[in-house]
Amino acid sequence: MAGTHANPRGLSVRQFKAILKKDIVMELRTKEMITSMGIYALLTMVIYQIALSQAGTAFDPRNIAAGLLWLAFVFTSMLGLNRSLVHEKDQGCLEALLLSPVDRPVIFFAKATGNLIFLLIVQALTIPVFAFLFLQQGTYAGDLWMIPLVLTMGSIGIAGVGTLLATMSVNTKGKDFVLAVLFVPIMYPLLLAAVSATTAAVLGGDGYVQQFWSGMGLMAAFDAIMLLAAFALYEFIVGA
Amino acid sequence: MSVGEKRFLGLGLYTWIYITLGLAAVLTTAALTMTFFFTPVVLADTVVDELRVIGGVPIQNQLLFSQKIFYFHVPVAMSSFLVFIFTALNGVRFLIKKEKIYDTKARIATEVTLLFVLLTMATGILWTRYEWGTWWVWEPRLTTYFILTLMVIGYFVLRNSIDDEERRATYAAAFGIIAFINAPISFAITRLVPSSAHPVVFRAGGGLISSQLIAFFLGMAGMLLFAWSVYQIRLREQDITDRVEVAKAALEE
Repeated sequence: MAGTHANPRGLSVRQFKAILKKDIVMELRTKEMITSMGIYALLTMVIYQIALSQAGTAFDPRNIAAGLLWLAFVFTSMLGLNRSLVHEKDQGCLEALLLSPVDRPVIFFAKATGNLIFLLIVQALTIPVFAFLFLQQGTYAGDLWMIPLVLTMGSIGIAGVGTLLATMSVNTKGKDFVLAVLFVPIMYPLLLAAVSATTAAVLGGDGYVQQFWSGMGLMAAFDAIMLLAAFALYEFIVGA
Repeated sequence: MSVGEKRFLGLGLYTWIYITLGLAAVLTTAALTMTFFFTPVVLADTVVDELRVIGGVPIQNQLLFSQKIFYFHVPVAMSSFLVFIFTALNGVRFLIKKEKIYDTKARIATEVTLLFVLLTMATGILWTRYEWGTWWVWEPRLTTYFILTLMVIGYFVLRNSIDDEERRATYAAAFGIIAFINAPISFAITRLVPSSAHPVVFRAGGGLISSQLIAFFLGMAGMLLFAWSVYQIRLREQDITDRVEVAKAALEE
């Protein structure tokens, strides 16, 4: 795999940077990913309002805030992952990358990092909007610094495994549908732990620090195992 | 590939399939007979053979009948997961060797997994309804199986949306491996994440008495043999279908 042929370390890093830079420059020029994901997240908020419209005044949206947030992130990330790889495919970029002497794992990590960055940007934009729309009543009882931590930990898994799954799904007839079918069950354990940790961070309460760190630990374990698997399998996928 | 010509202990593979299928039938029947006629009902580590009062309600043997499904449900569930190992194993073998036979084996293993996973879900739901009074609970084992079912279905959705044979096989192998790794993680995480709505139900006791163990292991062996037979029969069927296709193509030339 990595380094089976003579490829100095510095070269891989430069290749990684070049692919990442390409994604970022393309995004800066077109602003397509961020706008589409951002608007999608906004639309999700509208749907939430509809869903909660009959819940009554006694219902506190803070109790399900973590779940709602991750739900929005699941949908936006699926949209983003699909777009990110569709670009590569439609413009023949992935083929060109495969023809060039770049190690496959470098492609994987560069694409995954790019997706991670876009995901985090969209999340950073979505959270204030969500808080503004749904969390104005009541005080914030948890720890705010926990939120970026759990978002990053969750997004690493989503971007890593998602990049592998999206690389598969863009080469199928179903594209975004196939991505959803593969993505949701695979992400299930990560999202469950993420919602638990985020709930602890938002609500506070008894033993919330412990709940937060146990959720973070589970997410870290998922990220480590699944990224390793995705990293090992990417070489086969991207070449097929 | 002509898998039908392999021999083991002087007997052809077809003979072995008939033998295991027969054994599977005998063992599962024996296990079910034992389950219903000889295995006592056990509550909190003691055999229940008379009228008992549980929660202020007198309950007879027959009302603890829901225990009986254990001897069917657990073997089916374990078989489903053991067969799923073959999906992942054959996936790895395919990725290394790039031979079509491993893709076929992985696909058929997943088909058998789907059959057993659906059976597990069905029997599990029946038990849940009887024991917990509700059809569905988001409990770790049920949830894990639900996710497993979705992943197995996803595997076939993925297969069906790719035309290129080599690519289909590679993607399916990769997804099979990912799904296989994901299943135990799902189980661990659903167990470990604290859930306010539905606490994990830990059941008191857990040891099986000897007559229960015999019925259980008979059922287990029978179900595994059955799974193996179904897998082999499907593999033969596929082999024959492929050979017919080759013969057809040859005739057309």
